[in-house]
Amino acid sequence: MTSISLNVNGKSHDLEIEDNTLLVTALREHLGLTGTHVGCDTSQCGCCVVRLNGESVKSCTTLAIQAQGCTVLTVEGLSVNGELHPLQKAFKDNHALQCGFCTPGMLMSALDLIDSHVQVLTPELVRHQMEGNLCRCTGYHNIVKAIVQASKCMKSSSLS
Amino acid sequence: MIRDDGLVFDQRFSLKDFVFNSIGQSFQRNEDERLITGKGRFTDDFSLPEQTWAWMVRSTHPHARIKSIDTSAAVQMPGVLAVFTGKDCLNDQLNPIEHNPVPSTRYDVKLRGPNDSDIFLGYHHLLPFDKVRHVGQALAMVVARTRNEAFSAAQMVIVQYEELPKVMNSELAIKSDAPIVWDELPSNVLVDATFGDIQATEKAFEAAEHIVRFKSHVSRVTGVTMEPRACLGHYDPKTDRYTLFAGSGGAVRQKSELAKVLGVEADRLRVISHDVGGNFGTRNRAYVEFGLVLWASKKLGFPVKHRADRTESFLSDYQGRDLVTEVQLALNAKGKFLALKVDNLSNVGYCCVSLSPLSKGSGLVTGSYDIASATLRSRAVFTNTMATQAYRSSGRPEVTFAIERVIDRAARALGMDRLELRRLNLVKTHQMPYTNAIGSSYDSGEYEENMNRILELSDWSNLDQRRQEAHARGKLLGVGFANYVESSIGSPKERAEIIVHPTQIEVIIGTQPAGQGHETSFAQVAADLLGVEFNRVFITLGDTDIVTAGGGTHSGRSLRHASAVIALAVEDLRELGVRHAAHFFNCKPEDVLYENGHFKSFTSVKSVSWFDLSIQLANGEGPQSSLKELRVLRDNEMHTPVYPNGACVCEIEIDPETGGVDIKRYSALDDVGRCINPLIVHGQTHGGIAQGVGQALWEECYLDQTSGQPIACSLMDYGMPRFDNLPSFKTEIVEVLSPTNPFGIKAGGEGGTTPALAVVMSAVEDALWPLCGPVNFDLPATPQKIWNALQRGKTH
Repeated sequence: MTSISLNVNGKSHDLEIEDNTLLVTALREHLGLTGTHVGCDTSQCGCCVVRLNGESVKSCTTLAIQAQGCTVLTVEGLSVNGELHPLQKAFKDNHALQCGFCTPGMLMSALDLIDSHVQVLTPELVRHQMEGNLCRCTGYHNIVKAIVQASKCMKSSSLS
Repeated sequence: MIRDDGLVFDQRFSLKDFVFNSIGQSFQRNEDERLITGKGRFTDDFSLPEQTWAWMVRSTHPHARIKSIDTSAAVQMPGVLAVFTGKDCLNDQLNPIEHNPVPSTRYDVKLRGPNDSDIFLGYHHLLPFDKVRHVGQALAMVVARTRNEAFSAAQMVIVQYEELPKVMNSELAIKSDAPIVWDELPSNVLVDATFGDIQATEKAFEAAEHIVRFKSHVSRVTGVTMEPRACLGHYDPKTDRYTLFAGSGGAVRQKSELAKVLGVEADRLRVISHDVGGNFGTRNRAYVEFGLVLWASKKLGFPVKHRADRTESFLSDYQGRDLVTEVQLALNAKGKFLALKVDNLSNVGYCCVSLSPLSKGSGLVTGSYDIASATLRSRAVFTNTMATQAYRSSGRPEVTFAIERVIDRAARALGMDRLELRRLNLVKTHQMPYTNAIGSSYDSGEYEENMNRILELSDWSNLDQRRQEAHARGKLLGVGFANYVESSIGSPKERAEIIVHPTQIEVIIGTQPAGQGHETSFAQVAADLLGVEFNRVFITLGDTDIVTAGGGTHSGRSLRHASAVIALAVEDLRELGVRHAAHFFNCKPEDVLYENGHFKSFTSVKSVSWFDLSIQLANGEGPQSSLKELRVLRDNEMHTPVYPNGACVCEIEIDPETGGVDIKRYSALDDVGRCINPLIVHGQTHGGIAQGVGQALWEECYLDQTSGQPIACSLMDYGMPRFDNLPSFKTEIVEVLSPTNPFGIKAGGEGGTTPALAVVMSAVEDALWPLCGPVNFDLPATPQKIWNALQRGKTH
């Protein structure tokens, strides 16, 4: 067993974990944050994406001890005071989710994508960069629309 | 008046004065808030105190006798509570899962065994005790304190196999010398039935000017739901009841089937299926793990959980398609279709879970075309592979593929334009309702108008210009065209309960969405029927202690069945409301007037709403003070199918250097009958297209034919549609109302998939034709196959 300290969604936690505990397991089973999902075990589907010190990682292939002393942002931490994040709102507006299982990972990857580009995203760029997240329901059409809309909204609000 | 055998929707359902406030609106979904904030309730999100974990030991052989299973080392491993095998299931008299695979409505074609025998289905034991019949079949279960411990211990279970001859391919499995999957049968053929008018068809073939043939294997694929299948079983000795958390296509069905497996009354089992991370048919039938965790939880005294890893999902989720289809089309000199002969062979895998794909497809072999006579032989065969089950648009993409591909070939053979050949033979609007040569009665549709609209939507008229532009860039442009008609039937029974609460109205129903948005579209229907705002209605689903009956979600049945049964329940609720309002107004019930959610009386200026009545009842002010709730329960049974239809065009560019396919444009037009929520229906079409295109170009549950080993067992090997290999789509909804149900609904969940295999392959062939002639490879049209075809073409 190992002790780790990490900050998840603005809250500090001390955990006693087995050395081989995955970050996703720590989040879901130790902290009860079940918004982050496990869709595969080979880093292919992106359902488990969270932000670790501001960078998106696939938490199914990250050890929890790698998050020692780090800040973690999960889908549960996106909305503030009950106010949906612009990205969440864009997903809802554009019907960018159906079963919703891939959605948390989509949101976290898209957030990283928007944050790492100064310009408004184009559909082509979104399609290229989001290739590491899989969705089986939407055919991606509405997810692309939602991410482009959110990037417009977030860039315009950051300018103003 | 709208009829459905024995049940009459009377004049009260005339839509003449019906006020459409919510129906037809692109409302955002009620489901979304929880799903985008991480508050979904998927199966693996539930945990129980002292929960333990199960891991399955799976067969490494496609066909083998189990000589011995040595669990002695495994039980010594840390954290292990028990290891169970098929013998333990046998000792505890667990029953095999009864799947009821033969479609049950009066309109489904009637499949039979060879020589008109009853169909032998095989046995779907939770764990086998004698033989394994496919790679990945669970043969032992380890239960341990943690998932890691269960996994580690499972590696220590030693199985001795005696390998048996195996057969994976359906065309090999029907041969007389093929290895036999079930000794109970003289061969592997479990279904052999013939439909249509043989004499008339033969006569037409004799008189025909042209006979065009097409044969193909429509490949095997699987659902790849993003949520891997999972289950959590719990037995409570105090109440002697079992609880199962398991996402599925219908909790009620799972309850009744699993109760039979356990040998208990159905009321001893509660099944909870809240958010379901994709289904597409894959989750409609019970899985062995569901029964196993329930059984083990009673034996061990702890809750038992199982979550498949992705490889287990590829090995043992129900798979789809796998149909060999051979068609012959007879035409006269002018291109009129005279008759059709079809031979369909379905690979059901190692036991028969569903014959829906074969049955559904059988009724639709003539597609959207007026063909006077047809015969069809439908066969199903066992093989040493995972069982197949209905997969999105069960059976219809396969037969659409066959008819549309043979028409493309016929156009080439006759030197006719492929669109003109289709127009000449389409079922015309004035022929509706149209009964095809197999006996399916198409309810409504404007097929030629569909063609006109899709050609416009896809900018067909400027195709030559785009073809030249592509050529100048060194690319081969191909354009595919396909019409389609499909049937939506499904389980015939549905139940709805409506409860008026003080501020909200609850509708309890037994369908099970996995992303289709029932909590939204059903609320839209109920709101308009009740004359209330959309946000006053909420839908309850997926817990068998609340939802007592229901047919689940499959075959595009849900909205059609839900709207009909909710409409009937609202009628009952109105009658109840009138009686209470009469009490309130102190008048006779016949003096109460109901209008748009409000009750009025000739004797009073006041009016009362549903909610006013509910509050009065709750306060004990009703006519019968014992009645505290305004609540009704209604059952309905509908057998008549509906026939969604449409057309689509796909435009691709092939890079002749690599064989790579780039989809440039994809347009689809779908007649869904009345569209309740266009936002949702367009989304369904998008997803449906992606699944169809995926099968056409990349996806395949590929088996090594020598060893029987599945090769595509992770997301690194199985070709999933991704962001960067699909275009944005152009989709259009057409609403030709169906006369078979109150609102004229057809279905909107599967139309995207149904023509997709045909239209993509049509595009590939169009691109390759000048260099290679007809495409002779099966789905999926991978770059390797295309490149090989191009190389062969060059040498000719």
